[in-house]
Amino acid sequence: MTSSAIIAIAAAIAIALSTLGPAIAQGMTAKSAMESIARQPDAAKDIRSTLIISLALMEALTIYGLLIAFMLVAKV
Amino acid sequence: MGEGSNVVFSIFGILDVTGEVITMWIILLVLTLLCLIVKRNLKERPGKFQNMIETGVEYLDNFFEGLLGKKKSRQYFTFLASLFIFIIFANYSGLIPGVGLTDYVKAPTASLSVTMGLGVITFAFLQFAGLRCGTKHYFKRFVSPMFFMLSLLLLDEFIKPASLALRLFGNVFGEEMVTEELYHIFPIGIPVVMMVLSILFCALQAMVFTMLTSIYLDEATELE
Repeated sequence: MTSSAIIAIAAAIAIALSTLGPAIAQGMTAKSAMESIARQPDAAKDIRSTLIISLALMEALTIYGLLIAFMLVAKV
Repeated sequence: MGEGSNVVFSIFGILDVTGEVITMWIILLVLTLLCLIVKRNLKERPGKFQNMIETGVEYLDNFFEGLLGKKKSRQYFTFLASLFIFIIFANYSGLIPGVGLTDYVKAPTASLSVTMGLGVITFAFLQFAGLRCGTKHYFKRFVSPMFFMLSLLLLDEFIKPASLALRLFGNVFGEEMVTEELYHIFPIGIPVVMMVLSILFCALQAMVFTMLTSIYLDEATELE
């Protein structure tokens, strides 16, 4: 394999893995948030703001992976 | 990494002006004009335009009040709201047709330098707000609950603005790249899907940035 092919595969793995983990985590977070809203609709406002913050923090991990992937793609 | 921006012209030969800077000037001009127009004829019973602006400001006020409480949100409202308004305008400027295609106008938040600048401003403001609550209290925050937490908490203080900046940059830059790739695949119709999503994400990113800033602010100025 040439080095540019290896870099391309590395970029693909970087974005794929960094999407997988946070996707699972975000799904679990959204699930439990929805369950708690269904159980206690009064607390929906508080839960929503906490949910958005935690989702944003997880999203950051994906973004780091995306940045690394872009950096790698620029080297192909 | 969005850093290959070309210099359009330079002032005095040292200050390089890039497309992002020009776009930021345009945004500042638009915001200033908007403020002047709204300020010129304020009425007790608002007209259509004033009503619209008031709704927006009230929404922001309620948003920060829910996060910081009444007293603190009033104290820091000017900073947080300006940050929010600037970021949301900067994000949306990337959606105007033609922006990003030339060197002269580019979405500011799609450049790491701009978001890092916002991060540095946030960092300075957090330290300032912390110090204003009392010097002893400010330094005590770094060694509580244990002394050996010092290095970790110091590091945390620098990671906060960096992660804010990287998150904003990554999201906006990523959206632009995806839209561009979709444009290369099929130029008609398909990029619109991503642009519609961008409308949502741009507002969300501006919200997340200010929300996290206000949470850090709440932490920094907490008096026990």
